Amino acid sequence: MPQIRENIQQSELVSDVVNTPIPKRVTDLDHAGGDTGAMQAFASLRDANVVLDGPVGCHVMPAVAVINYTDSVPYLQNVTCSELSETEVTLAGTLGALKIKVAEATAQGRQVFIVSTPVSELIGAAWTTEHQDVKGSALFFDSHSLDDDEWKSRDRALLFLWENRDHFARPADAPARKPKTRPSVNIIGPTYGNFNSYSDLHELKRLVAGIGAEINLVYPFEAASYDTPHLADADATIVMYQEYGKSLAREVGLPTFFAPIGLEATTAFLHELGDALGLAAEAKAFIALEKKTTLAAWQDIWRSTHSDFFANAPIAIVAPPTYKDGLTYYLGEELGLPISFSAYRTGPESSPSTAVRAALTDASPSPMLVFGSINERMIIAQEKLPSRFLQCSFPGAVVRRATGTPFVGYAGAVWLLQCVCETLFDVLFANLPTSAAPPVKATTTTREIMGEGQASAAESGKGKNSVLAWTDDAKALAEKTLKRVPFFVRVSVNKKLRAEAEALAREHGTDVTEAIVQEITSRYSPR
Amino acid sequence: MCPAFGAVRNLLRMEDAMPIVISSGDGCLYGHTFVAHFYVANRPIYSPGVSSEIWAKGSAFDELRSMVYDMAEKHAPSLIPICSLCVSDTVGLPFDLLPKQIGNTEIVYVPLPAYSVHTHARAKDIVVDSLVWRLPPQRKARSGVNLIGEIFPSDPVKIDDVLRRVGTHVNTHVPGPRWEDYVAMVDGAVNAPLHPFYSESVKRMKMKQGLPFVEGAPVGIAGTYSWITSLAEPLNLDPKVVEQVAREERDRVIDVMQSRRLDGLTIMVAGYEGHEFLLVRLLLEAGANVPFLSTAVNANPLAREEEAWLREHGCQVLYTANFADEIAALSDRPFDCVIGTTPLCAHAKELGIPSIYYTNAIATRSMMFAEGAADVLSLVGQTVGAKKRYDRIARFFADDESKLERTYTSWAPKLDLTSELIAHQAL
Repeated sequence: MPQIRENIQQSELVSDVVNTPIPKRVTDLDHAGGDTGAMQAFASLRDANVVLDGPVGCHVMPAVAVINYTDSVPYLQNVTCSELSETEVTLAGTLGALKIKVAEATAQGRQVFIVSTPVSELIGAAWTTEHQDVKGSALFFDSHSLDDDEWKSRDRALLFLWENRDHFARPADAPARKPKTRPSVNIIGPTYGNFNSYSDLHELKRLVAGIGAEINLVYPFEAASYDTPHLADADATIVMYQEYGKSLAREVGLPTFFAPIGLEATTAFLHELGDALGLAAEAKAFIALEKKTTLAAWQDIWRSTHSDFFANAPIAIVAPPTYKDGLTYYLGEELGLPISFSAYRTGPESSPSTAVRAALTDASPSPMLVFGSINERMIIAQEKLPSRFLQCSFPGAVVRRATGTPFVGYAGAVWLLQCVCETLFDVLFANLPTSAAPPVKATTTTREIMGEGQASAAESGKGKNSVLAWTDDAKALAEKTLKRVPFFVRVSVNKKLRAEAEALAREHGTDVTEAIVQEITSRYSPR
Repeated sequence: MCPAFGAVRNLLRMEDAMPIVISSGDGCLYGHTFVAHFYVANRPIYSPGVSSEIWAKGSAFDELRSMVYDMAEKHAPSLIPICSLCVSDTVGLPFDLLPKQIGNTEIVYVPLPAYSVHTHARAKDIVVDSLVWRLPPQRKARSGVNLIGEIFPSDPVKIDDVLRRVGTHVNTHVPGPRWEDYVAMVDGAVNAPLHPFYSESVKRMKMKQGLPFVEGAPVGIAGTYSWITSLAEPLNLDPKVVEQVAREERDRVIDVMQSRRLDGLTIMVAGYEGHEFLLVRLLLEAGANVPFLSTAVNANPLAREEEAWLREHGCQVLYTANFADEIAALSDRPFDCVIGTTPLCAHAKELGIPSIYYTNAIATRSMMFAEGAADVLSLVGQTVGAKKRYDRIARFFADDESKLERTYTSWAPKLDLTSELIAHQAL
């Protein structure tokens, strides 16, 4: 999918098309459901209070436990729960419990969003009151929690906010909006629970400021519900991630751009955004300035020997569409790292974890770097693959709150390049051929060594400098093992494998057998 | 965390079990998978896919059944626990129609609707209860103590040392890593629920198998003494020997406490694991003031004695903890330390109160006998000692934005690079 467009076709809208199919069996589910996605979108608004209509687990799992490991937020203070118990589920329905929570949040002057959960959907709970037409009253969002994945739900939630834009009440003490002096843009996304979004947002803001434009709204992450109608005040919209926000952008109706990944995409993005905002000259000047500043690092690394490794360093990518497409193009096409395989984490073409496992274990050589989630990390560990893991999506506990790790924009291009190089160095270190410190002790004199060597060099494995024979099985296994190892460290691994296998064979007084090779290779359980 | 996770966690930790988690939907399953892969195990988590259509058709059960057969045939684990969460338990899948055994594999239904389980503690009780229900009748010749409760890995060894001195031993310990740990319970002569919430499990074993149980745990001065002496009667031990060993162990605890006093400190404890009762015992005996214990555990028969002891020593027990009350209590009096849940600790740290998260800091330690007391009290002492650092940081953040609530939006740097770039003539 191209990164930059002015029109979004109906057929591309997330809410119409993109949804992860529900398989008959699930192993290690890697995306959240509709209730979680909607909660994460609404809770991002400054003045929102989300009331999850469900048992306590539907609240504490996403808004206390998981959020602490995706966003490093101790818990979401503006999310509460109707805390259903047996009484509500079997007899009373959820309305009574909801009313209390809604009243509490409303009393604090918050815009309440009630989000349905599997249990409330199952017992057919909804929220209708005589107050629904009153501005600022609680709104009910049917999150389709049983059927929609988190991305589709976020997209629907953002569209829902726009459709209800006149419902939100602007408090009397809300600060007045600053008058704009320059062309401005909306940034749609991120929401909570979105991998690496803090850095991506930071970089996008830098790019927008760089070409001399202003930010109108970062929506919903730095906005209040009553800001929603002001989305129309901007001159263009940037959608951060393909996964959600497109439906909203389409309805707002401004020229729309997607956050770019890689050098080419970012350059094109800046030119086209500049054109759309009447800032073509500024965009051109900014690109020129970036080449001398941010991208000087990129050019230096590219000119160094670091990039010589790329052609022999296969990688794999498993991520949601934005990162999967972006990394595949940038790392594969622009940098020239061979893509061993790449897979979508979500959407109709998503790969279930069993297919990813098969792809990772069958690859020969194994990808040297695997961009993925904890699922891929587990596969690497369980299958003892030599691959290094780099996190590029959820699930998986991570701290990504420092803003220096973007994937988008020029800074993102530099950061990714740096990550790849550093990890390659790491692989190299782990496979250095020699680690004899202190050196092996001399036990005999040179003359004695000469005497021993001569004795029976002709007979396999007998003398010290006689070559050991390898059985066919052993050779085949060694071959198979070596093929998995990335090319540029294969020589080191080969040396190590041979030395250790032969040492063991001498100890046993046999040829090198399959069992011996097996034993040596099983000693190395990569991280 | 979802109450049901208390059970899912313990089942996933069993090496010869392959739990199936029937989630309520993807949001539910994602949460369980996410935290399981963080807290428990580097192992796959299996579930039948669910959607509104699947629930309406009832086809989830067919898939579950064929999954059970496939897994039993392919992997032959000792146990396939079927963890049934909110929706599957409300819809009422016909779990009775699942086979009880396939080959050597036991298939056990574990009902975990979070809306009626309420707490981690209850979920853990349900696991033991469900598995014990599957056991054959208690053997005629019985000996030793069945330990029940998640304790530090070396605790059973320590307890066994002490028990051998009084003429008995540890028979088995659950929740354990293997099914055989549960099966071994039929050989035990007495159950010892070390945490005050395994009431259903021990009640069932008392009714069905006639197995008596002793309350409490060897934690703190009084706790260590009374736990050891309480074993004398049900196990027919020599009361003189028991008395002597109990005194020795008690005196060792007294000794280590002398150099780790917490006199004059006020500490808030809020927990959902269930062993917070025992922690408070230690704190009180070391001289701290703990005005109340907020616990997620429900009032239950096993907790009664613990509660009475705590009340006698000036600590109120608040069952089914209320988070809003805990937060409000923070400003009630000057607390020197908070040991609680993540959200509570977040608030306390904001106020400059040294705090630690119960699950990560306390639940990973032994509290038993002298060594346990020494370890936990040192940790609390160390935490309180860091007061200055907590203060410095709290003051730094209070200065500029004291009134805003702490969400990302209020923290986020409001950068306007445009003016800066223009000022530097970059544009």
